[in-house]
Amino acid sequence: MSFFKFKDYIEEGDLVLAFISRGTIKPITVTKGALLNTRYGHYEHDKMIGLKYGEQMGGEKGYGFIHLLHPTPEMWTLSLPHRTQIVYTPDSSYIMQRLGVTSGSRIIEAGTGSASFSHSFARAIGLDGRLFTYEFHEPRYLEAKKELEGHGLVNTHITHRDVCNDGFEIEVPANFGTEVNGDVVFLDLPSPWTAIPHLPKVISKVRQVGICCFSPCIEQVAKTVEALQQNGWTNIEMVEVAGRRWEARKDMVRDIKDVVKRLKDIQSRKNQGIENRRHAKVIGEKRDHSEVLPEPSESSKVQNTGKGFNPFGKGIRIREGDEQFQWRNVTKIETEVKSHTSYLTFAYMLPERVE
Amino acid sequence: MVKSKTIITANQHALIRLPSEGLKIVELRSGGTISLGKFGSFDVDAILGYAFGQSFEILDRSNVKPVKSLAPGLEDGEGAEEVAEAEPETEGELSKADLTSFFSTNAENNQQIIDIGSKVQSLTNQEIDELKKSGASSNIGQQIIEKIIAGHGGFDKKTIFSQQKYLRRKQQKFLRRFTVEYIGSSQLLQYYIEKDLPRVLDLSEETLGLILNYGNVRPGGKYLLVDETGGVILYAMMERMNGEGTIVLAHENEHPNHIALRYSDYPEELINQMVKPINWLQFLEPENEKIDLEILSQEEIDALKPTKQVQYEKRLKRSQDINSVIDMVQAGNFDGFISVSTLHLPSLLPEVLPAIGGSRPIVLYSQFKELLLETQHSLSNDKRVLAPSIFETRVRPYQTIIGRLHPMMTMRGFGGYVLWGTRVLPQENITAVGRGVSKKKKEESVGVESETEKPKEEGKQEVEN
Ligand SMILES: C[S@@+](CC[C@H](N)C(=O)[O-])C[C@H]1O[C@@H](n2cnc3c(N)ncnc32)[C@H](O)[C@@H]1O
Repeated sequence: MSFFKFKDYIEEGDLVLAFISRGTIKPITVTKGALLNTRYGHYEHDKMIGLKYGEQMGGEKGYGFIHLLHPTPEMWTLSLPHRTQIVYTPDSSYIMQRLGVTSGSRIIEAGTGSASFSHSFARAIGLDGRLFTYEFHEPRYLEAKKELEGHGLVNTHITHRDVCNDGFEIEVPANFGTEVNGDVVFLDLPSPWTAIPHLPKVISKVRQVGICCFSPCIEQVAKTVEALQQNGWTNIEMVEVAGRRWEARKDMVRDIKDVVKRLKDIQSRKNQGIENRRHAKVIGEKRDHSEVLPEPSESSKVQNTGKGFNPFGKGIRIREGDEQFQWRNVTKIETEVKSHTSYLTFAYMLPERVE
Repeated sequence: MVKSKTIITANQHALIRLPSEGLKIVELRSGGTISLGKFGSFDVDAILGYAFGQSFEILDRSNVKPVKSLAPGLEDGEGAEEVAEAEPETEGELSKADLTSFFSTNAENNQQIIDIGSKVQSLTNQEIDELKKSGASSNIGQQIIEKIIAGHGGFDKKTIFSQQKYLRRKQQKFLRRFTVEYIGSSQLLQYYIEKDLPRVLDLSEETLGLILNYGNVRPGGKYLLVDETGGVILYAMMERMNGEGTIVLAHENEHPNHIALRYSDYPEELINQMVKPINWLQFLEPENEKIDLEILSQEEIDALKPTKQVQYEKRLKRSQDINSVIDMVQAGNFDGFISVSTLHLPSLLPEVLPAIGGSRPIVLYSQFKELLLETQHSLSNDKRVLAPSIFETRVRPYQTIIGRLHPMMTMRGFGGYVLWGTRVLPQENITAVGRGVSKKKKEESVGVESETEKPKEEGKQEVEN
């Protein structure tokens, strides 16, 4: 298991994302003798070993299934244990694209939080890049450190630090270069304006450096913009990202002509009923519905449910897309939309002339 | 030579951003001069050695001087902030004195003012020249401001913000400034968006970012790509992969179209090493399309006429290239499938899915949501793609002036849609939990499940939300 390279078969000790349903993805470390319990069955870790990544696995008792997924930053974001609010893919992917993050980039990130974005950064910058991430909340720092190490993010260095008060300068590990020398900065903390003045010491002096400050409130943006201006950052622009998810659905085609036919049918059956009862009184015969069904129309599909002409399957159980009915393909937006994540304030810093 | 991504370097392409938001791609030839039309021209040597991202102002005779940004003083709300403090709430009126001091605070602004001033009716070129000759002092700025104000009836009555906007517009029109940027994938896309939006199928920068992340594009990967943008997606992937890994580029003509790579400054060998083109005929009928060339021994080759030898070498190379990419496709197990095309995906996907490895991403772009909708429906009975969904991402820009932060009045409407799912390996004889039990009740009462989530084939268990 690695965030840098896919592998094909599951081995003991791997981080596997057990996809139970959309919205329920459970990260597990494959451990001999362990059992994954879900409301959709039980799954022995032992039996996962040797399966292929992506494989569907049946539950112990012969029912239920899960899919065993290889971790990627995008799947991890959907399944990680939340220690804080996190940055989701529509925001993180845009920030990386706009700031030109590619293999080899050197990133400064604070705070680490749940390390959702850290994983995405680490993957994109590859083994040639370096991510310096900072977190001042000690338990969070410790958990993140363990997680980053456990996930083999060897290009990432985490520091326990209050960057707003104490800045970003650190003793850089041997294989991380001689200085932090960042070329992209991402600040996701409550008061980025107090961290900004500390940046000159740790950003590259030979190339343009890009920054993104991620703040939920407009008041924070105002203070951030001010601090950026005062500290020599240019091309300041704030934007918002709106990410939406759409579901493919089917909507039944319900023709008004069929509505009218059905009403007529109901009416005639009623009349017939009265007629029949009268008959029954007079002759004592049994009622017989079959006499009163109208001719099935050509255009619409008719359900004979013993309830007469019923083109829309009223009162019976219909699966969406049931081939006995007519459907139209439609999209439906997710039930709850993330209408605001944060404001993204971008800016750039240029070095003095370099020769 | 490896191209520089950080320093403006000779014999490389660069993007030139103009104040009017126009974009140009130029090749920087040492000793050459580049013309920016009405903005003037500049000597290439004068900009070499600065960092990419640097802005310049054109002086006399194609000389340039570095400046902070395309429009300092106004851009970024510099100065606006001071004014906002002075006039916190109401959009108060501004006196000549205020405005003069506002624009006279540094020499850079004076320079701008001269340029703006030169276009104001009441100021003749001669007057401007005289002003310029009189030397750069804050005095000039003041004089010019006076002239602008005098030449613009009712300027005094404008509010500070509309005055700023007026000056900004003037700057954009007359400032002889430009920024030199490295051509990253965002810049290349922006360039095509401006020049030829249909070519990039309405793709936006944010959607490109989403595609690359959902596609898990990284160094060392082996991807299958369909790219109808002329190579913009290909370039974006190559940038992220930084020379490591392989992109098999499936295309529908005799030769792939990746013309956008001509701005990439990637050497031919690197492109050949990373990009493996295959046409759909070769992809779908590999056995017929493999080239079975009779391999000659060295003696046999030596015995050929020189022209025949060259011919043989060429054919050998071609057959090796084609056969190796066909082998690659037959071996399958790609690290992802990315499609940015107008092909009918419901018929394409079944042909492609077997080649994609387990747990790898499937990322399909279309400018039309309806096409992805049809595709997603076609997948609902195909258990090989897990949890496919259609995603849309749109960036909303704001006017970023302190005290006047608000969304821009207009923004781009285009940007397209992305269907993202994961290739999985379904098993036979697996029964879902709760199939129908709890749903049955619900469905009986509502008839059609319009309010509940659709029961998905790949996730029959997805009953609860
Ligand atoms: C919203 S979370 C970051 C989430 C993260 N971007 C992610 O995607 O998972 C903000 C984090 O910043 C940390 N933080 C706040 N102020 C800080 C400071 N001055 N120095 C370092 N970390 C700080 C908080 O403890 C918190 O964990």
